[in-house]
Parts: sequence; C-alpha cells; structure tokens
Amino acid sequence: MTDANPKPGSRWSASRLLTIAGPFLGLLFVTALFGLSEDLRPVFYTGASWKNILTQTVIVAVGALGMTLIIVSGGIDLSVGSVVALCSVVGARLLEHKAPASVTILATLLVGGCVGLINGAVIAGFRMLPFVVTLGMMGIARGAAKWLADNQTVNFEGDSIVVTLMERVRPDSFLPLPPGVWLAVGLTFCVAVILRSSVFGRHVFAIGSNEATARLCGIPVRARKVMVYGVAGLFFGLSGLLQLSRLTQGDPSVAAGLELDIIAAVVIGGASLNGGTGSVMGSVIGALIMAVLRSGSSQMNWPNYVQEIIIGIVIILAVGLDRLRQSRAS
Amino acid sequence: MQHTPRAVAWAILFAGFSCLSSLHAADSYQIAVIPKGTTHEFWKSIHAGAVKAQRELESQGVAIKLHWKGPLREDDRDQQIQVVENFTARRVQGIMLAPLDSQALVKPVAAAVDARIPVLVFDSGLKSDKPISYVATDNAKGGRLAAEQMGRLLGGKGKVILLRYAVGSASTEERESGFLAGLKAFPGIQLLSADQYAGPTRETAYSNSQNLLNRFGRDVDGIFTVNENSTIGMTKALRDIGRAGGKVKMVGFDAGSQSIKDMKAGDVQGLVVQNPVRMGYLGVKTLVAHLQGKPVEKVIDTGVQLVTPENMSQPEFHELLYPPLSQYLDK
Repeated sequence: MTDANPKPGSRWSASRLLTIAGPFLGLLFVTALFGLSEDLRPVFYTGASWKNILTQTVIVAVGALGMTLIIVSGGIDLSVGSVVALCSVVGARLLEHKAPASVTILATLLVGGCVGLINGAVIAGFRMLPFVVTLGMMGIARGAAKWLADNQTVNFEGDSIVVTLMERVRPDSFLPLPPGVWLAVGLTFCVAVILRSSVFGRHVFAIGSNEATARLCGIPVRARKVMVYGVAGLFFGLSGLLQLSRLTQGDPSVAAGLELDIIAAVVIGGASLNGGTGSVMGSVIGALIMAVLRSGSSQMNWPNYVQEIIIGIVIILAVGLDRLRQSRAS
Repeated sequence: MQHTPRAVAWAILFAGFSCLSSLHAADSYQIAVIPKGTTHEFWKSIHAGAVKAQRELESQGVAIKLHWKGPLREDDRDQQIQVVENFTARRVQGIMLAPLDSQALVKPVAAAVDARIPVLVFDSGLKSDKPISYVATDNAKGGRLAAEQMGRLLGGKGKVILLRYAVGSASTEERESGFLAGLKAFPGIQLLSADQYAGPTRETAYSNSQNLLNRFGRDVDGIFTVNENSTIGMTKALRDIGRAGGKVKMVGFDAGSQSIKDMKAGDVQGLVVQNPVRMGYLGVKTLVAHLQGKPVEKVIDTGVQLVTPENMSQPEFHELLYPPLSQYLDK
C-alpha cells in the first residue's frame, strides 16, 4: 500500500515494505498450497498451467486497475460487469459490420470511458453516493447491452486481430503468452507509476484520505473525480474488449458479478474501501491470488462449493486484516 | 505490526487446505466431464451414467478417474472456458464437454486438441470439427415428437406458445426449430409467442412464464417448454392462474422429478424424455475407446421418447423417469 501521508523514519519503511509484501506473500502461499498435493504438483507448476492462470487473470486484473483508482479516491463502481458486457457487445457489433480492428478497439474503449464519465459527472455534480449511482448504471449498461445485442449473443465472421488478443497459441508451453497478458503487465506498471508519482495520482490519494482537506488545499475535487471514473471506464472498456476476444462473441449476459471479483481483488491487494489507501500492484496480485485459487481448486477437482467458500474466506480475511490495520493506525 | 493477525489468518486457511488436499486420488486414465451446470437433475443423471461406465470399465481392468466439474457460475460461458483450460493444463487424458455455447467454446476446445487431449462433445453441439465424437439426443426429433403430441392433444387446432430456453444453446435451439417444423403439419394451430426465453434457472423460468401468461394466459391452449427448468417453471405458473390440469395442454422436455409429479397430478400432458444416463455412459465408453485406439462413431444418438400420462407406468420408461442416481452417486 502507499500511504497518503508518509511518516518519515525507518519504522515507516519497514511497515511499508511489509504491507507491499503482504499480498505477494499471500500469492506465494496459495501457490505453495497446491504443491501439497502429490497428484497436482507435476501439473500445477508447469508453464501451461501458469499460462492458463495468467490468461484467466487478465480481465479481472485490467478491471482492477481502474477499480483501484476509484477505490483509492474513496469511491466504488458496481457497474463494471455490465460495462464489460456492453463493451463486448459494442465490439462484436462493429466486427459483425466489418469495422477494422482499430475502430473496434477505439470504440470499445470509448464506450467504457463515456459510461465512466457519466458515472463520475453524476457522482461529483450532484454529490451522490457512488454506490447508488453505479448501482443504477449497472442496470442501465446491462440493459443497453441486451438491447444492442437484440437479447442474443452477437457472432461475427472471420478472424480479427481483436480475437487474437486472448488467444492461447501452443497451450502446452508458457510462451508465447497471449498479447492481452503483456498488455495487462504493461498497463499495471504505467498505472502504478501514475498513481504513485504523478500530480493526478497524489490528488487521488488526497481526495480518498480526506475530501474536505483536499478541497481546502486547492485540489479541484469534482474535476478529479470525473476524471477518475472516466479513466477507470477506459480500463473497463478494455476488459470488455478482452472478454470479447476470449468468448469470440459478444455476450450481453457475460461478466455478471465480475465487479465483485474485481472489488475483491482490490481489497485483497490491500486497498481500503474507506479510500486513501491501495496499490495497483497489490490489486493485480489480489486478482492473481483468486485465479490461482480457482485454477488450483478446479484442477484438484474440488467441488465448486469448496472454491466458492475458500474465495469467500479469503475476501473476509483480507478485509478483516484491513480493519485491524486501520484500528491500529488510528 | 500487522503481520501477526495475517499470519494467524493464513494459518487457519492453511489448515483448511490441508484437510481438503487429502481428497485427491491416485492417477489412472483421467477423464474430465464438464456439464453445463451441476444443479439440474439432468446433469446428475449424466454423472450417474458416467460412473456406470467407469465401474464397468474398471471391472474389465481399465482404471478410470472421473473429474466431474461444472462452471463455477452456472451458465457462465467464461467460467466454462476456464474449466476446459484448467483441465487442459491439468493434462487429463480426455475431456467430455457439454458446451454452454456452440461458438464460445470453439477456441478452448481447439487449444485442448492442440495439446493432444481428445475432446468428446455431448448433449449440445459445437461449431467445430475437432471433437472426436458427438454424443447427444436427436434434439430436432424431440421437438417434432412434442409437436405431434401437441397436435393430438389439441385436435389439430388451437393457440400455442413456445417458450425458448436461451440463445446460443444448440441443443435447445434444435428442439425449438424441430417443434416449429413439426407444427407445420397442423395448419389449424396458431403460434401466439415464440420469442420469449425461460433463462437459466427455475426462478427465471418461473417469472418469465408468469409474465408470458399474464399476457396470453386467457387465450393459450397449449404450451411447449424445452428443458427441465422451463417445464417446471411454466407448470407452476399455470397452476397459479388456475389453468393447469389440462385446461392448457402442457408439453415439456426432460424427466425432472417435479415434472413427473406434475404429470401424475395431471398438470403435464406430455414429456419428451432423453436418456441422460445413457448419454453419460456412452460418452465415457466412447472416449475411452478412442483413447485405446479403437475407431469411434462421429455422431452417436442416445435416443428420445415421448412419455404421456397414459404410458408413463410402462416398465420400459421406469429407468428413464426414475434414474437410479443413488446407485451410482454418493449423495
């Protein structure tokens, strides 16, 4: 986590190191767990298996990049799953009408960005609770997706570049990874740097820590909020594009509940839903932890309810730890 | 310091994992069976059939380890893709898949085949030539059987509703088009609605049926529903408005235990019944035959029959209507 008001001194750096390392240790831990099974060991630690896990993480991870911005700024976005569905349908419709890949990609991202801008404008402009506004948008975007798709899946002909984004060639070996994985890795570093080092990033932390103080310090809080939701929307649009690539079709019913996976990833990664703390790396590792748990328990052939219970426990543990941390800090 | 509670928490989790990891079994011919979901009785019957084949093969000295695994979120295409990918990485010897979508599962199946894992598709089709075999009900024939029964029940004239299941599900779409084709033999039958979808769960089927009946409940003479949940949901909705019991002729699909109860009570006048136990059984047998290097049929029909209140007590239908699940499944 990045502290909004870092205290100087060695104690700070030690605890900071620990909190950054926390999610990473968690990842190592769950990864090691599946090595306990002799049955699974030879297949779980293979390139093919990790290629899988990384591919399955990408959509949640890219969404988590946007969600981290929002949560750090003290907001929340429940409309992500619906926005992903909407964007995947928009992309599929364009491909269906033989639009070039560049237009499809751009339009898909822009739709996500626009929905985000609307969310942000309503939240900042009318000082409404993000929970309520995005809950409403969840229905609007889902409905729009179904409308645009004629309540069906949208199938298109031909192989577009868009489809190859998430395609796993040579599933037996780790490389080559799908382009979507590299895209997610690159974006993670960019967003991490922007959030930690740019003026915009520091403003986001300041708003999430204490909005009134941020305003008194001369930060244009409303404009920044609109921007946060808009930028996050671009990421959700990208998630939608990747979802489209993965299904090779536009599906208006896809990604129902994805927002909860994404929020869980961000929270496991050490962000606080009260705003002001959170780290991009942590969120992506949070997404990875869940993917490892899912893939591992699936390969262990545990029944689905075991997976659901385990992931539920992990989320509560992570938030519980966050609470403990908060109460100690105050 | 915050690491102490974290350590405690992880330790608890670790303990839980250690218990669960003892569930694994020894290796052998590992076959992953991936249904569309796990809560329908239909899939439980498939599972029972697969276990039946497993036991039979084991008695012949062929050890089989079955991995039975549905998508985490039922009817979520992406989740089913993940299951296929995970078993591909798990390097099972063969995959048996009932695709949730005839398009979305094409790439993961191609990837599995590229990794030299043969895939057998059952229940519902896939737009691909990679699978070694397709083991399924002749769904179009099932739809035609339903149309014939509907024509008989209505004496060749009346107003009917077709409640569809979901877009992209090849098996139910074939039933729907089979039914519509079969209805052409009865020019006196008029179609009131054929563009509504029941959706994935009993609850969605029930509420969509209520909505449909709210609009057409007074006019409709006959209804065809294309799977277990929609049959149960529609029958319940008909009872609610007092039009069950033969006032509206109800023809459904699949032998869910609730549907059989409804038929006994006189609320359902026809059920097109597949043979899921046989489907699961033949799926595993065919896949293992392929693994042993034997030639297999590209398409295997597992049969479909019409059950009516008149013939339901005949002994040949007993195993279809009351599949011996407890004989093969633990719970």
